[in-house]
Parts: sequence; structure tokens; C-alpha cells
Amino acid sequence: MPDRKMFWRIIRRLLAANRGRLFVILLALGAGAAITSALLNLQVDAKRRLTTEFRVFGANVIIAPRDSRGSTSATLHQSILQRIPTRIGSNEIFSVGLLYAVMDVAVDSHARPQDVPSKPTPVVLAGYSTDIYRKLLPSRTLESSQPTGWTDMSLCYAGSNVARRLNLHARDSLFIGYHLGSLYADAATQAQCFVQGIDSYGGPEDNHIFVNLELIQKLEHLQGRLSVVELRIPGTPQEISAYIASLQKNLPDAEVRPIRQFTEGEAKIYNRISGILSATVGLVLLLTALCVMAAMTNVAMERRNDVGLMKAIGGATRRVLRLFLAEAALLGLTGGILGAAVGILLSMWLGKAVFGIAARPRLIVYPVSVALTIIVAIAGAYPLRRLANIRPAAVFRGEA
Amino acid sequence: MFIRLVADSFSRRPRHKLLTGAALALGMAVATAALSVSLDVGDRLAREFRSLGANLLVTPQADSLPLEIGGVDYRPANVGAYLPESDLGKLKTIFWRNNIVAFAPMVQIQAHVLPMGGNWSDTSLIGTWAEHEVSLPGGGTFSTGVTKTNPWWRIDGRWFSENSKECVVGIEFATKNGIKVGDFLSIATGEVTKIPAPEKVIGILSSGGPEDNAVIVSLTRAQILADKLGQYRKLYVSALTKPEDDFGRRDPATMKPDELERWSCTPYVSSIAYSIKQVLPGADVRVIRRIAEGEGAILTRVRSLLWLVTLASLLAAALAVGASSAASVIERRTEIGLMKALGAASGTVGFLLAAEQLLLALVGGAVGYSLGILLARMVGQRIFGVAPEFSFLVLGVIIGLAAVVTLLGSAIPLRRASRFEPASILRGE
Repeated sequence: MPDRKMFWRIIRRLLAANRGRLFVILLALGAGAAITSALLNLQVDAKRRLTTEFRVFGANVIIAPRDSRGSTSATLHQSILQRIPTRIGSNEIFSVGLLYAVMDVAVDSHARPQDVPSKPTPVVLAGYSTDIYRKLLPSRTLESSQPTGWTDMSLCYAGSNVARRLNLHARDSLFIGYHLGSLYADAATQAQCFVQGIDSYGGPEDNHIFVNLELIQKLEHLQGRLSVVELRIPGTPQEISAYIASLQKNLPDAEVRPIRQFTEGEAKIYNRISGILSATVGLVLLLTALCVMAAMTNVAMERRNDVGLMKAIGGATRRVLRLFLAEAALLGLTGGILGAAVGILLSMWLGKAVFGIAARPRLIVYPVSVALTIIVAIAGAYPLRRLANIRPAAVFRGEA
Repeated sequence: MFIRLVADSFSRRPRHKLLTGAALALGMAVATAALSVSLDVGDRLAREFRSLGANLLVTPQADSLPLEIGGVDYRPANVGAYLPESDLGKLKTIFWRNNIVAFAPMVQIQAHVLPMGGNWSDTSLIGTWAEHEVSLPGGGTFSTGVTKTNPWWRIDGRWFSENSKECVVGIEFATKNGIKVGDFLSIATGEVTKIPAPEKVIGILSSGGPEDNAVIVSLTRAQILADKLGQYRKLYVSALTKPEDDFGRRDPATMKPDELERWSCTPYVSSIAYSIKQVLPGADVRVIRRIAEGEGAILTRVRSLLWLVTLASLLAAALAVGASSAASVIERRTEIGLMKALGAASGTVGFLLAAEQLLLALVGGAVGYSLGILLARMVGQRIFGVAPEFSFLVLGVIIGLAAVVTLLGSAIPLRRASRFEPASILRGE
């Protein structure tokens, strides 16, 4: 169709006519598109990432035996750990089984007899089923050592307060059990442990000695039993409460309860942060669009000569306008495609800078930002409509 | 003549100038809003994080090892050390007194509880402040208590008043024993020889923690029951802090005097702990790492995230403004040619145009600044209920940015314009 061919030819010429102007327009549109896509992508990713950041607060849900709050007598069966799903959406759930016992502890005074209390002291021992537990709890390692010749089962970690009271150091070995050193001592309820490290947690954990779960089960004659299960469930406040409800349904014999201090605090903080993020991103996007539009309009307004010329050689106002809008759309498309791609790469890099993990590119962000750019470009060129009542002669005389 | 030329240029093409000015103002508005919000957000969020509860724990240095499982201490009341309650006012005399948001002392003992018409049962008894006026050494009072340190505690009914025979019962314990608000129960410690006078239940507490299975009374009541008048065993302190960096994590004992001064003049959680320790003799102040480090990590992330968004908005504003001022110079080629033909030097023409752009930047920047402050107020008000504080820094940055961006945007076209041959421009080439 000759008409369409002509149309594209004019567009091509329009674009090629002034390289400087083309560059300015593409720069403005591309920058707008890049910022739009980078912020949109980062915002979606940051909210999700934030919920996983909360894991530094440690457990936020507890599974306890029914009717046993405050007492240590009732226990859960260890198989409950297998009945907990390991994922929620794409996020991992950390769970740990714990068995507590208060036992006598004495430091092996063989190496340095003078500065170690010889009398056994009662200490809370916490047997834990997975090492993730200690890694999740924020702590500061005060002392650590490498064990030689000890089995995994007899390694332990002491809280800072325990270490201070008992004058305990890494590399020491401990006797734990009931009636240590007395007439009632029984080999089946005693064990020896190697202190692999001393950590400060700033909480009740400072008063605990962390030991192997099986060891404490053996000493307590509670094979396969747990006092409590602690869970760290990532996700938005709604996801967490939905998960707790479904978990409670699956585990009718136990009690699942959120640690309100963390679930509520986190929900509040999450809502604030995601609010402030959405608000700033929304604001920035809106005003970026307006800025780009204003810049585009300014560029478009100087096309008076072109409009005048086209009308002088017989172009209908409608067709002339359509030409310019098509040009703007084409520019928007190019600027958008280039800018949005740059923006997504940018957001991945920014995600890495902020959260240490590259933001996952969301496919939906790409077409959305390209479409937004095209809309902004067309809206920016739309004031050309007012040029429709330009009188060609006035333009050429240089009057307008 | 110079001023007349500038004024003429504005009055002759008001629409063009308006458009460039609008782009400038909008761009600067984004920048102002984003900048004000991110400058302010750290303080606001630090306050939000206090809803997670205390970040410092004070215990007696001479204490025996607590036998604490799941938040319940199984030691008898007469084992271990206590700290004097009368010292607590000193917390608000330390250098960082304004950062101490709230604190609550606690006495926890094992007690026997007899609900009216029920049976004896053993549970833990917690004595604390609900809302207490602490008198400060320098005069005045400070209102604090668990309602401030533990905002997630929900009470059905009301809190007890100081030293009254009133108590609050944890929801779990209440359901187990069928206790309702308005019931009476007796509390005894040690060997029970006679049934003590009953206390009135005035509230049911739901905390989601071990307190759900406890009976809570005022600190004075618990001190009487434990026979430890005027003493407490544990103190929770909620303080506003700055996230710890590598410097903040160092041990103050190894610092040089000037480093120590810099360290104690920064509200790191550890330096606040250090200054609390100095006013409370015999106390051991520990940082609750679970809260403090989580807060630090998240605050740092959110801060850098918002700075990135701000930077992006500054970039967008700069590009858009640069593009529109470039466009406004390009379209004035004819005018420039005419001026040069009439004998103006390239420098004069450049200076004239630069002055015009700067004037525009100043006006646009000022309008954009006011618009942006309004936006920032709206955002702050919506999200935190408080508008961000006014900062001259933002005003300076915005005006400076507007000027630099417009000048840079017009610099390249201006350079090209100064090399124009007047004759060819006037011929329309």
C-alpha cells in the first residue's frame, strides 16, 4: 500500500532529521523506563526479601505439648519434626526440636585444679536436633576450639553466663548428669562433654549449655522425646497466620502458638516498611512520568516548522497529528525496550548491593514499564494537537 | 540591558518557560520528597522496632546461674542476688537518657495459687510495673512499665494499680482454672500454713509467651511475697539505638581515649549498655542480641534501599530536567544567531542564556521544594503519623541540584550554539 509506505518513510525522515534531538528524547524516555522497571522490580523483590530478613529474630512459632505450659514434664514425640512442612511458598522453614533438662555440671579439673569449682552446679541443658538452631540465633562467639578425638555426640557449647559462673573455657571438658560424684552416681545417667565454644546471646540462652539431643535423651531416659519445637516461618503476616492455622489442624495432639512478641512486632514493622517503600516508589514513578512528559512536550513544541510545512503541502490536520503520535509511540517503544532492560539489570545489581542476593527479575515488570513509557511518550506529544490551528504562512514568515 | 533581555525572554514565551519550569519543579519535588523521607526514616523505624520489646537486659552481677526454661525461672526466691529499685531513676540521668524509651523491673518467683472455690496449683508469679511514675534524681517523673516495654501484651480488663491487692492472670492459667475477671484468688509462697487474704482478679493477660501461664501482680506486692522489699531481679530496658558497625562492635576496654569518646557519643546499643552499667552499681547489662542485631540488620537494609530509591529519583529528575533545558536551548538557535550577528560575543550569549536557566532553576527549584515537602509530609503522616522534620540540608541540596542540572543540561547545546555561524542560521540553514 503506497500510503502506508509513505507514512513510514516520513516517520523515518522525522527521526533521522535531528540526531541531537532524537538522542535527548531517547535519553529522557529511556531513563524514565529504566527507573520505572528497576524500582518496580526491586519493590516486589524487596518486600519478599524483607520477610526472610526477619529470620535473625529467631523462632516466631512454638509447638508445645498440650496442657504443659510452664512445666517440663510433658513431652512431644520426635516424629513431629517430620510432620512439619519444610517450605512455605518458595521460602524455607527452619524447625528445631529441643529437649531441656536441669542437670548437675562439673568441670573436669584435671588440667587446672586450682581455679575451677569442684562442686557440681545445676545448669539448664538444652539438647537441639539441628545445628541451624545455633546459627540462626544471633550471637557473638567469645571462645572456640577444634575438638580432637571427641565424637559428635559429646560436643557442647556453653552460654556466656554459664561460662563465667563455672569459670569455663573452650577446650575444657565437662561432666554432666545426676548426683555427680555422690554415692548415688550412676554411670547410665552421666556423660562427659567437650566444650567446643562459648557464645554470648544476650538472652536466656546465656544460661544454657547446648548439647547433643540424643545425649540428653539418653541421660534423661526420654528416647525420641522433645520438650518443644521452635519454628521460624518466613512470609507476610497473613501467610504466617494461615500457616499456623493449617499446622494446628495437622498436629491436633500438640499446641501451635505464635510468639506474639515477634509475630506482631514483625507484622508492624513489615507493614511500615512496605508502606514507606510503596509510597516512595509510587511517588517517584508518578513524578518521573510527569517530568518525562514535560520534557517531551517541550521537545514536541518546537516541531512547529515541520507541522507548518506538512500542512502547507496539503497534509490533513488529522493525518499530520497521527504522524507525530506514531513517531512518539515508536520513540516510546524504543526508549522503553532499551530502558526497561537496563532497569531490570540495574535492579538485579541493586538487589545484590542491598540484600546480598541479586533481585529475581519479574517478567511482568518488563511489559508494564514498556507500556508505561509508550503512554508517557504519547501523552507528552499530545499537546501538538494545539498546533493543528497553526497557519502555515505565519510559521514560514517566522511569526509564530 | 542584560536584565531587560532576560525579562523579555520570559515574557515573550511564557508557555515554553512554564513547561521547562514545570519539568524542573516536578523533578525537584520528587527529589525533595524522597530525600526528606529517607533522611527521616531511620529514626522513625528505630522507634517502630521498639514494638519488638526490650533490647537490653540488666541482671545482678553477683547472681547465681538462673535455671530458666521457656521463660520461667525455677530458682527459689531466696537464691541469687537482687538489685535495689531505688537506683532506677538514675537510668534517666545517663548521657543517652533521651534514647531510653521505657524500662520495667521484674521479680519472678514460684508461688502457690488458690482460686476461690478451686484447688491449690503452682505457677510462676511475676511482679512488675504496669504503669509507674519513676521519680528522677533531678526532679520530675518518668512514666514507664510493661505496657511500654512489651506493647504486644494484650489485657482484657485493666492493669493493677500500685501496691493494691489486685492481680492480672495469664490467659492460659485462667482457662485452666476457670478464673474470670472479678474473681478472687489467694497467693502464697513457701510453706503454706494459713490461707492468705485473697486478691482480686482485674484483668486477663494474653502475651503469647510464658506470662500466659503466670499470675502478675504489682512489683511491690511481689517484693512483699518474696520478702525482698525494694529489690528486683531483672530489668528490661528498651532503648533507641543506631545499628552497630564494625567500630561499634569493638570492646571499649581496648580503645584509645579519643576512640572511646567517639564510641560513647554514638548511640550504639553496646555504648548505651556501657553507660547504664556505670549508673547501676553491681549490675550486669547485656545486649539482647536477638532483638538488637535483627533490628540493626533490617534497619541498615531498609535505609540503603531507600537511599537507592532516592538516588534513582534524583537521577530521573536530573535527566528529565537536563533534557528539557537542552531542548529549550536548541530551539533558540535563531535568536542566538541574531544576537551574534548584532555583535554579541559568544561569552555574552552563553552568559545570558546561563543566567536565564539559573533563574528558572531557582524558581523551579523553590516551587518543587515546597511541593516535595508537602508530599513528604503526606507520606510521613500516612505511614508513621508524624511528618518528617524540616531540614535545611534538603533545601540546599535541592536548589544546588536544580542549578547544576539545568546548567549541565544546557551546557552542551550552548557550546554548540556558540560555534554557530550567524549567517547560516539567519539564512535558515
